[in-house]
Amino acid sequence: MKTKSFIIALVAGAFALTSCQDKDWGVPENIITQPPYGNNSLVAGTTTTIAELQNKYSNAISNDSYKQITDDLWLRCVVTGNDYGGNIYKQISVQDETGGIIIGINGSDQGAFMPVGQKLLISLKDLCIGGYGNQAQIGGVYNGGLGRMELSTWKQHVRLVTDGTDEAVGFGTMKVDTIDFDATKTMAQQSGRVVRLSGVTISGEGTQILAPDDGSVGLTSNCANRTISGGNAGSKCVLRTSTYADFKGIALPKEPVDLYGVATIYRGTWQILARTQSDLTWVK
Amino acid sequence: MHMKKKHLLLVLTFAVAPQSYAQTPETEVLDTLSTVEEDLLSDDSNFTFTESQLGENDDMTSDVIQINSNSNVYLNQIGWAWSGGMWFKYRALDNAYNDIYVNGVQVNNPENGRFTYSTIGGINDAVRNKDDVGAFEDNSYSFSGMGGSTNYNLRASRMAAGHKITLSGANRNYTLRGIYSFGTGLSKEGWAFFGTVGYRWANMHTANVKGTFYNSLSYFLAVEKVINDKHSLNLATWGNPTERATAGASTDEANWLANDYLYNPYWGYQGGKMRASRVVNNYEPSVLATWDFKINDEMKLVTSAFFKLAKYKTTKLNYNGTNPHPDYWKRFPSYNYNVWGNEEDKNYDSDAFWTSYENWQDESYRQINFDELYFANTQLNKIGADAIYWIEARHNDHLMTNLSSSYEWKFRPGVKWTVGMQLLSNRGSHYQTMDDLLGGQYFHNTNTYLVGDYSQTATEAMYDVNHGYQRIVEGDRFRYDYDIWNQDIKLWTCFSMDKDIQHNFITARVGGRRMWREGFMRNGLFQDNSFGKSGKAHFMDGGLKMGSTLNLGNGHAVTAGVGYELKAPTASVAFMCPEMNNDFVQDLRNEKVVTAEVGYAISNRWLRLNLTGYYYYTHDGNEWQQYYNDDINSFSYNSLTGVKKEHYGVELGARVRITGDLDLVALGTYSEAKYIDNTNVTWMSSTTGELNQEVCHNKDMRASGTPLAAASLGLNYRFKRWYLNLTGNYYDRIYLSYSTNMRYEQNMKNAGRYHSGEFDVPEQAKGNGGFMFNASIGRQFQVAHHPLSVNLQLCNLTNRRNITTGGYEQSRSNYSVTETENSGTESTTKPRTYNFEKNPKKFYTQGFNFMLNLNYRF
Repeated sequence: MKTKSFIIALVAGAFALTSCQDKDWGVPENIITQPPYGNNSLVAGTTTTIAELQNKYSNAISNDSYKQITDDLWLRCVVTGNDYGGNIYKQISVQDETGGIIIGINGSDQGAFMPVGQKLLISLKDLCIGGYGNQAQIGGVYNGGLGRMELSTWKQHVRLVTDGTDEAVGFGTMKVDTIDFDATKTMAQQSGRVVRLSGVTISGEGTQILAPDDGSVGLTSNCANRTISGGNAGSKCVLRTSTYADFKGIALPKEPVDLYGVATIYRGTWQILARTQSDLTWVK
Repeated sequence: MHMKKKHLLLVLTFAVAPQSYAQTPETEVLDTLSTVEEDLLSDDSNFTFTESQLGENDDMTSDVIQINSNSNVYLNQIGWAWSGGMWFKYRALDNAYNDIYVNGVQVNNPENGRFTYSTIGGINDAVRNKDDVGAFEDNSYSFSGMGGSTNYNLRASRMAAGHKITLSGANRNYTLRGIYSFGTGLSKEGWAFFGTVGYRWANMHTANVKGTFYNSLSYFLAVEKVINDKHSLNLATWGNPTERATAGASTDEANWLANDYLYNPYWGYQGGKMRASRVVNNYEPSVLATWDFKINDEMKLVTSAFFKLAKYKTTKLNYNGTNPHPDYWKRFPSYNYNVWGNEEDKNYDSDAFWTSYENWQDESYRQINFDELYFANTQLNKIGADAIYWIEARHNDHLMTNLSSSYEWKFRPGVKWTVGMQLLSNRGSHYQTMDDLLGGQYFHNTNTYLVGDYSQTATEAMYDVNHGYQRIVEGDRFRYDYDIWNQDIKLWTCFSMDKDIQHNFITARVGGRRMWREGFMRNGLFQDNSFGKSGKAHFMDGGLKMGSTLNLGNGHAVTAGVGYELKAPTASVAFMCPEMNNDFVQDLRNEKVVTAEVGYAISNRWLRLNLTGYYYYTHDGNEWQQYYNDDINSFSYNSLTGVKKEHYGVELGARVRITGDLDLVALGTYSEAKYIDNTNVTWMSSTTGELNQEVCHNKDMRASGTPLAAASLGLNYRFKRWYLNLTGNYYDRIYLSYSTNMRYEQNMKNAGRYHSGEFDVPEQAKGNGGFMFNASIGRQFQVAHHPLSVNLQLCNLTNRRNITTGGYEQSRSNYSVTETENSGTESTTKPRTYNFEKNPKKFYTQGFNFMLNLNYRF
């Protein structure tokens, strides 16, 4: 009898032990309020604005040099462009109510961690700011010039701010509206911002591929620059599309269209960077 | 006094064993293991040592053959001697050349020819009765395979009667094991029953390789009814539902940075808890019915029906962006600095180098950061985007039915004729499901490699046009879904005859195979040939083999055998790209196999010795691989046809009785197993669907995942009810699986390895060999008048951690290839700092490990 009981217990025990080890995993707690990306211990000190930064470092920006920020300054801003669509590479664009700027980060898929609309608190001290083709940019030093900062550096200097947290209060009612492109505006007034171009024509109209890599269009750094004219485009404006963009293969419109994108400048020419296919309104 | 003498002799023997054995007195005929040794080792012979290493990983090269033979010392001992922590392939052959039967039914996976030993793991007591034969030994159940054959006898009446409990503790793949077995033996009424249930367990903290676990229940039930003197029926069923986490191979750089030869990149932390990304769930319930018909004293008929429903699922972390695995090449310090000293290519980014180095010191960096993956997906949910990271599950399910019948006629003493038949039908269901979206809302069933060339919603980019731009949520099938049907018929016969000093046999087989694919998704790139049934491919094959043993007297014998076979290609190599379309590989042919073996054997009172030489030549072989091809920036499907190989070598096995209590076992092999010519390749890109021709310069590439040279010296000492074994092994010439991609002509040109009409083919990567010492000590006790056996196995006593068990060269390039800007057609290669060629991924032996085993019979 004892033997039987023992055996039954042994067999029952074996079955009982065989519970699944790879359990159903749920979303980890606290990843919304304490994102596992960036530095959650950052608390804002003396804040500045994008316009103030561009003004303070205007010489470095216009000279295509850079300066390391030595003051303990903090920036509150909102992400307006990233690599999600494959057209912007290792950069994000951010805006506050005073302007926009590009931040270079040596990391991919940053659009997944910092989607458009994400509020950022950035500790600027020790980061670099300067110009590349006269476009204002925050980053790090690479080969003696301004380049992207290492991802680990960026993660130490940024806090992703979630609505409802104490740090979100500092953003107040910050609005980062899309503005109508105006070719007469200065770099500081318009670059880094999301702009709308209306009734414009794109060169190569009617061709089947926006950014071909077959040699039919001249490329610079794997990007096709197609001239934008008419409407509010002014005289020096291009639609810059990477041959790695998810929407590189779309056809160009024959008729004037509206489009959106991040306005950047390169030596006097406005370069419009569409972020995703939805910025190109003619694509259904 | 007597005892002292024996101990003294033992010490002396350990010290001067190679010299002493010839001088020790002969005591008795050396044949089988002593009772104590057998009892102690039977449960933990090669099976226990290897059961957690054998054939468990579909995608790895550890497809070891578990070979044995009672008539050959080498075959009888290598399973035990060379399995403790090493991967050893008999004659460097793929597992597919080893045929496995249960009660006469062949149970190798019909799609790839392999047998997964783990499917009989944990039912050790049920698979103890078996008939093992080498490649040139006749038997009553098969035309034996190139790598030998095994027929497990699963009849209840042949199982041990009584109760048995086995409890084990180990620091290997599993930590604890418990098995209970019960057999009735054959009752007077003609009934026999046998059952066993076992459980093997390790969690992520106790398993030898960090980040893995083992969770396996196993059962076996058999009932037999002996109806009368002529007829008996046996019904058996078994299975072992298993859940286990697997470990990945790593580069030496990763192991060094992690300070761990067993560094495993496949796990990470989620909410502070360890989580594995690659988890296998496997359950293959099997049923076997056998009818034994003893027609008369000379004739018998064995007929069996086998049915199996196999469910196999393995998960993998995947992504649509940057690789989130911690061992992604861009995360290493050597991504930023050419540590191999080529100053011309040096592009030293000091900051990045040291940042990477510092990062690797942190465990959270060198393991998967699940929290970050969840966070990214929840962020993307806010903008209604697809998940960027997810865990997918590949399913390989099988529904297998097999019938066999064999007739044996001993029409006069020493003369036997057998004839048999095997009928098989197998449906392999292959599909992928979304296992865990890691916090994401959904994913679209889109070929993301094509997005860019086509829009996200383009028909061409859809994996299943029938369902359009389809949203995938957890549990849904996506990417591919198809069945492979495989139907075989095989007839075989064997005639053996003893005459004077000779034992001769001749055996032959003939078979037919047909196979086809049925797709359940209409792939956007192959809308006309991916959905529905393909055409049917038919193959006929066969073989002839003969062998002879000449008994020269005084225990000396010479053996010889030759064979020729045509082997039909298996479904695993027959389709060009089964995940995408119905097309068969072009120019598919039967593999031709020439085999030959000669041997010399001695068997007397103090020595059993086998010395064997073998030569195998195969041509028109077929192989198939899929991997990401840097040179085309796409996934590629590669078919190698007309493969030519040679396997040859010598094997030595000797068991020397030094005293009645002490014997010495010496084993050795030196072999060669390599391609003897370059191979034609047809490959297809996943982004264009076009077929391309290539030549792979794989001549002289060796078989991988096994030492091609190995030697062993072991001592077995029995004293009263004690048993002691000490074995020293040496392994050498261990090659890693070569990369075909690195040796394609175009790729070698891209790599600058083509000069003056000659290709500079990269040397095949090798692993480290070395010495390893194992020991086993056991004793049998009597507890409550029943035997209790205690055995402690100690493996790798010197804790050698740098012996390579296997691994592979990475199928990536030391350069990137891009379109030359503004050229349209030309491409530009740009050297990478990271050197893939110098960074093969390797598996290493476990360090010191043990297993304590208790068996109690009552």
